[in-house]
Amino acid sequence: MSELLARATNIRCVYGGGEKDFTAVDGVSVELGEGEILGLAGESGCGKTTLGNALAMIATPPLYVLSGSLEIDGESIDLSTLSVADLKRHRPYRGRTVSMLPQGAMNSISPTLRIRSLVHDVMRAHDPRVTKSEALDLARDRLKMLDMPVRVLDSYAHQLSGGMKQRLITVISTLQNPRLLIADEPTSALDVSSQRMLVEMLLAMVEQRIMSGVVFVTHDLPVLSQVSDRLAIMNAGRIIETGPTRQLVEHPQHDYTRTLLSSVLDPSRETRQRGRERSAGRGAAAATSSEEVGTR
Amino acid sequence: MSTPNAPVTDEKAAPRANPFRSLNFSGRFWISLVLVLGVILLGLAGYLYPTGPGEKVGSLYDAPGAGLPLGSDNFGHDVLAVLMAGTRTSLIIGLVAGIVATTIGVIVGLVAGYVGGWFEELLMGATNVVLAIPSIIVLILISISLPQSSIWSLAIVIGITSWPWTARAVRAQASSVATREHIDVARLSGARLPGILLRDVLPYILSYIVMAFVLQIAGAILAESSLSMLGLGPSGANSLGIQLHWALAFQAVGGGAWWAFLPPTIVLTLVSFGFLLLQSSLDEVFNPRLRRGKRRQMKQAAARRAEEARQLAEQAASAPAPDTTRAGDPA
Amino acid sequence: MTLGRYIARKAGWYLVALVAAVSLNFLLPRLVPGNPVDVIVSNLARGGSITGEQQKAIYEGFVAEFGLDAPLWQQFLTYLGKVFTGDLGTSFANYPASVNDLIGQALPWSIAVQLPAVLIGWIAGNLVGAIAAFRGGNWDRSVFTSALFLSAMPYYCLSILLLYGFAVVAGIFPVGGAYSLGLTPEFSVEFLWDALSYYWLPFLSLVVVFIGGQAVGMRSMAIYELGGDYVNYARAMGIRDGKITQYIFRNAMLPQITGLALAIGTLVGGALITELVFSYPGVGTLLFTAITQNDYPVIQAVTLIITVAVLVANFLVEIAYGVIDPRIRAASAGEK
Repeated sequence: MSELLARATNIRCVYGGGEKDFTAVDGVSVELGEGEILGLAGESGCGKTTLGNALAMIATPPLYVLSGSLEIDGESIDLSTLSVADLKRHRPYRGRTVSMLPQGAMNSISPTLRIRSLVHDVMRAHDPRVTKSEALDLARDRLKMLDMPVRVLDSYAHQLSGGMKQRLITVISTLQNPRLLIADEPTSALDVSSQRMLVEMLLAMVEQRIMSGVVFVTHDLPVLSQVSDRLAIMNAGRIIETGPTRQLVEHPQHDYTRTLLSSVLDPSRETRQRGRERSAGRGAAAATSSEEVGTR
Repeated sequence: MSTPNAPVTDEKAAPRANPFRSLNFSGRFWISLVLVLGVILLGLAGYLYPTGPGEKVGSLYDAPGAGLPLGSDNFGHDVLAVLMAGTRTSLIIGLVAGIVATTIGVIVGLVAGYVGGWFEELLMGATNVVLAIPSIIVLILISISLPQSSIWSLAIVIGITSWPWTARAVRAQASSVATREHIDVARLSGARLPGILLRDVLPYILSYIVMAFVLQIAGAILAESSLSMLGLGPSGANSLGIQLHWALAFQAVGGGAWWAFLPPTIVLTLVSFGFLLLQSSLDEVFNPRLRRGKRRQMKQAAARRAEEARQLAEQAASAPAPDTTRAGDPA
Repeated sequence: MTLGRYIARKAGWYLVALVAAVSLNFLLPRLVPGNPVDVIVSNLARGGSITGEQQKAIYEGFVAEFGLDAPLWQQFLTYLGKVFTGDLGTSFANYPASVNDLIGQALPWSIAVQLPAVLIGWIAGNLVGAIAAFRGGNWDRSVFTSALFLSAMPYYCLSILLLYGFAVVAGIFPVGGAYSLGLTPEFSVEFLWDALSYYWLPFLSLVVVFIGGQAVGMRSMAIYELGGDYVNYARAMGIRDGKITQYIFRNAMLPQITGLALAIGTLVGGALITELVFSYPGVGTLLFTAITQNDYPVIQAVTLIITVAVLVANFLVEIAYGVIDPRIRAASAGEK
């Protein structure tokens, strides 16, 4: 693993709302390196999305973060969120240090808000002096860099397709060059070609250091096997196993990992072919060696 | 800003609990139920009350006392007896009109929402037209045209002028249900339109129909009392509105005869409030996003969590870093 | 669908509604079996309010004006013609007073009470509802319950309570009427000041209930929006709560605008009877008197005016909605 970007320690999250709280994340610690894409995989209900929310510091009731700290850029941030005051305390980090690419990106834009207004608001959130033209210039540069049409800025959410919205949200989430991006099931609601575009976009952004690290949360293991450098398997609120993707996939240490992989991964020809293209494209930028075959 | 009950993700990771736990009737629900039942009981009590509403037991606006708990009205009748009879009448009209309106509205809404296309456009356009014309006006026009109005004719007339609102609400729901998979399955397996509507669409929108029905009853009761106050109420009958009508005609308010107009006013307000509260609490039951949680329970839970967090922080400070379960070597 | 098409479509439907309303207005009273004029005039005569000569004059006047011997469709056209030229006929009970005059006297009083009630009620009600939704907690609970109670109360019930409580018992306000005895309506400060004391209770009974209704609606809408994905995302980007509140407000307003149309209709209906309670000389009292006197021209004219006014108000509201909601204003360009 390359140089350490961030370390999260002892994260514990519960869901309230009934007589008893439900523990969703049970003392998880995880590390991420510079330029690394960490895949966070598991079945539905294992707590991966909750963990993502805790890291992105947007745990809102009924989700509460009882403990946890995030060490990043020499700072140690207390992730615990028990009340509105904690949410406010975390605001300076949100979108800037750690940013979220949400699961429901389709509805993440207010229907009465023009995209360019949202862009300006996002930029202004951390620096009130940013003018609209500065914000839009930056957005336009990003859009061009990532091969997206600039006119989406003048649109409303309802005028854009699902795939376009997802990629747009990805751009907005990374406008402030966050150190760490938490991508929560970004490909789940997309068709195959849109999935591919999004994944390529994320890879390109990491390469260009728009963000320094990505935690890619998903239940879609085939996607992870192409995209992530390291993989962490989660079950029932705990991390079962972590390791470099290729190694973990080929030689899983844990029984659960084995079961999960065998039930999901199908190294079909198509996947292998894509994997080869992926390796060829990424070349030396990836931290892991670019061997072909298998599930990569 | 308040902390909302935001549904965080799909994998809420909540316990797979008893589904009825979510049917958490709030305090509001029980209060509204008590109000509505109370008014119904008031009406039914009229059958047990010794004096009839038509008996002359006093003179013009006798004050309460001496066997007349609410005094006498302008005709010299027992106000309480008239009140009970009037409540009964108003409730009956409300119920009948509510049934008529809901039935028509549900049928129109179901068909429009499910069939869709130009048919839906046409029906909804017609509905909006009817909706735009103030119903009280239509009621007035119809009432002055009819030579005599009885309880039943009035109820039916109110029913056929107030269905559009229900039709609109039902249509919105029906058209969203129509796009779900189980409808396609039903259609493919050869079921016909009425069958599909009844068995596959209706159950999903039942909650909306119930809420609409509750509102229709309330609306009908108020519509009848409005008409009665204008002098267009059911002839020869007693209703809350008619009681108020006579109170106004005989200057009960100015004359200070509070027993003649306050009871029907209060009952009207309570019955209307009761039904509205019922509808809003049902709305919370069926629409979890509107729920805001039980106060005491939430406070206890928050205190519990704060305590737990404090303990964890203490542990973290004193103990070494816990195991990170990192299997696999950094490459 | 573009804004232009939206407006055109709405205009079309409202035209249909207008035609329907006018037709209804024309047809329904004529459903009375037998010759309506005979019945009406004989009722008037029985009531003893007019002389035999007046009776004959009314009868002939009515037949002449509306061409009752002509076929129904011709009567309808005559009626339409009269209406569109602004001639609403002659009153039966107050013969030979023209209906236009009667309405002209009553209408300003009604508008003076209802229009401010709607405007102020809408703004205040939505503000209260939004604040309650955002504050939450006990504030929200108490505001919601009281707003719901007030909105549930029929307009005239509140009128009765206010009249009894503040006018009869407490004596703070006058007990009915629009101005003190002996004064004549005019645009002088003196008169307006006097009329103001009569104005409060009717105005309050309308505006308070209206605020209640709007507050309840806005609160529900705002709470619903608070749970929206875009709120979470905005928060995740570090946007401040104040800004997020703006987003929520803008979205919650839309259904409120739609609801305004219906609320206006209800208010106008309720105001009719409120005027009765306060003996306020608006169209409500006029209508009530006309009903008791079987004064058909007046009844028809009042119902027509009220209907047209509500339709116009609804139409304007719908147009406003089309302009404000970007999903309608900005056509779906389909950017794939």
